[in-house]
Amino acid sequence: MSTGYFTIVKKGDHMMGRFSAMASPCELLMETQDPLLANYLTSLAYKETKRIEQKFSRYLPNNPMANINHSMGKAVAIDAETFRLLEFANSCFELSDSMFDMTSGVLRQAWKFDGSDNVPPPEAVQALMPYIGWKKVKYNQSSITLIKGMELDFGGIGKEYAVDCVANMCTEYAPKTSVVVNFGGDIQVTRARHNSQPWYIGVESPEDDDKNTTHTLKIISGGLATSGDARRYLLKDGKRYSHILNPKTGYPIEKVSRSVTLAAPHCIQAGLLATLALLKGSDAEVFLEQQDVKFWCYR
Amino acid sequence: MLKKARITVAFLISTQLVGCVNLGVQPWERDLLAKKEMALDSEGIDLGLDDHIYFSKEATSGGRAFAGGGCGCN
Amino acid sequence: MQLIYKNALTNKMRKTANVNAALAAATCTLLGTSAVVQADEGVWEMDAALLYYGETERVTAVEGVFSAKKDFGDEHLFSTKITADSLTGASASGAVAQPNAQTYTRPSGKGQYVVATGEVPLDDTFHDTRAQLESQWTQPLWNDMRGSTGVHLSKEYDYLSIAVNGSFAKDFNQKNTTVSAGLSLAYDTIDPEGGRPVAFSEMVIDEGQFANEEAYQAAFDATRQTGTDDKTTVDLMFGMTQIINRRMLMQFNYGLSMSDGYHTDPFKVLSVVNDQGLTQSLVHEDRPTERTRHNFYWQTKYALDVGVADVSYRYATDDWDVSSHTIDSRFRFNLSDITYIQPHFRYYQQSAAEFYQPFLIEGTTLPTFATADYRLGEMTAYTLGIKYGMKMPSGNEWAFRLEYYQQDPKNAGFDEPGALKQLDLYPSVKAVIAQVSYSF
Repeated sequence: MSTGYFTIVKKGDHMMGRFSAMASPCELLMETQDPLLANYLTSLAYKETKRIEQKFSRYLPNNPMANINHSMGKAVAIDAETFRLLEFANSCFELSDSMFDMTSGVLRQAWKFDGSDNVPPPEAVQALMPYIGWKKVKYNQSSITLIKGMELDFGGIGKEYAVDCVANMCTEYAPKTSVVVNFGGDIQVTRARHNSQPWYIGVESPEDDDKNTTHTLKIISGGLATSGDARRYLLKDGKRYSHILNPKTGYPIEKVSRSVTLAAPHCIQAGLLATLALLKGSDAEVFLEQQDVKFWCYR
Repeated sequence: MLKKARITVAFLISTQLVGCVNLGVQPWERDLLAKKEMALDSEGIDLGLDDHIYFSKEATSGGRAFAGGGCGCN
Repeated sequence: MQLIYKNALTNKMRKTANVNAALAAATCTLLGTSAVVQADEGVWEMDAALLYYGETERVTAVEGVFSAKKDFGDEHLFSTKITADSLTGASASGAVAQPNAQTYTRPSGKGQYVVATGEVPLDDTFHDTRAQLESQWTQPLWNDMRGSTGVHLSKEYDYLSIAVNGSFAKDFNQKNTTVSAGLSLAYDTIDPEGGRPVAFSEMVIDEGQFANEEAYQAAFDATRQTGTDDKTTVDLMFGMTQIINRRMLMQFNYGLSMSDGYHTDPFKVLSVVNDQGLTQSLVHEDRPTERTRHNFYWQTKYALDVGVADVSYRYATDDWDVSSHTIDSRFRFNLSDITYIQPHFRYYQQSAAEFYQPFLIEGTTLPTFATADYRLGEMTAYTLGIKYGMKMPSGNEWAFRLEYYQQDPKNAGFDEPGALKQLDLYPSVKAVIAQVSYSF
């Protein structure tokens, strides 16, 4: 069955809902044979994902994000959800020794990671540095103020946040049904299947999208996220520039893992930890080893 | 005689309600019912303490749970 | 391309500055979810509560409860509860008020107490501590059928109660209907201090007529039976839970309880009064050795947008001729995501047992059974209370409850001879209940 917005497919012992959002294929695997339930959950998931996308997307004019990014130095009112995300980003900033910085998005004006050799000149990068720095952001429960020219970029956490929100919704409306929310590799499983069977998730090899999956993971419940620079990089004079940028220097981090896949109770936690690991460059494995989590690291 | 009639009537009313097979909700309509405070035993501790108080101060016990109180307070 | 490093979860000591733990906490705040471990893995849910019950000038009780529950996965549930309570203070002995001061013997035979003019005689040596332990195990059996079994043990100085229970429950209609049947068997033994009194034997009061202590003791012992006595109770319960609609569910229970054994209260007496209403002697009460009770219970829970409404009605009747109506209602109002307030109103009304009489008249034939215990007489009672609950950031919850309980015994149609007409033979009992609970 399909509406204009999403499709439902029957697959053996479960049903799958599919739609496109946040520049990703989005899938909902539901352990049910009931097409009405599958339809209902998928439509809820679609609406919630679109809501988050509309609200936090950098690309839309006149949404709350645009209001903040074009505020010209004035205070902008924010709601409870935005405040919670800002608090979360703040925690991540502190936990990463200031390396995870949601204001570093402006660097995309200089860096375009299209696999070419167009490394920007140093002046272009330096010109953007005054507009980067989480500490320059002032916010409280009701408003936020950015210096003119600064921008917030929720791109790093938006998709994982949507996955967790949709998973929470599925748990609320169908507490006894096991659901896998998979937005392009950012995954959350709401609860164990009956008989505690796992879901089988394929983790793709970072080298080549055409190749078969090299790794199949078994998940009973919880979150899984993958971070990496597999598709976005620059290559010049034999040197690979990953798209993970250091907000303090404006330049890519060296020796970044090609991909890190991580398991944690929530998708956004897994995703952030993976990002923090990438920010550690060559120390990614040591860092993850210390965190006592299940992870898979490719170089 | 009247008492027997009363018991019978109460019994009949209770059994009629078993015929309510058309009532109910679909699995995805259980959002409100799944809340902790909607569970029948949601305030178990309070109900147990109250049952004990009323068992020792009144002649009737039981209803929600077994009537045998199991203490010497009555 | 090769997989350089794959880590398996080890039991290594966590290094300091564990970023993951801090990130987990930040995630919980963002998503508003509680602790990391999924409910399926089985955490112990624990509750602790402390209750104070205080009547004006009568009984005071303090009760503490601790309960723990765990889901071992796949609907295998275990719960256990331990309770301890302590009572002190005075409770009505069953004797009537008199226009002049009276003296009484304490139930244990040691010492006497004096009652002021016009007041209802209370025996104040009543203090007892009790401990109780119960456990229950529930698990699925066959398709949609669940079984449950449990034990219950209660011990106080002069009373021991042991009970076992078992029940089955089956779901129908996509779990919208649940039907259950249960059985409970209880065995109680009683061995009061001073021994159980002989039915209708006179209370022995030392007014100086005994030559010495031994003479008093001999006279007292003559009114006592030796040894313990017991009571067995069989309870049957049939219940049905039905979901009505998205907001409402109902429960109906029918309970049958049959008990056999010693039902008398060894501490209660009746006054034998003359035609002037003046007490001539006090005799110990006596109750039948069998009791069969029927209980009909109906409860509705309704999910409002602001909270939950919970109303129940119980009708009970038995072969002692006590029948009662109880209406109990609670309305929960959520003040915010983490706080709520819940007013409570309960109304209770019972008719007198057939062998209840507030006093015996001198010269009339002794009835087969008699009690003047107001708890078997005609009465109405009401409770008004309020509860406030709040959830902490850790997910644990505090709750505070304050209630007022008033019992109004009534005259079940007995004429009051002479002096008794001017006295209040049915005083109200007023109590305050205060409770603090913590769930974690």
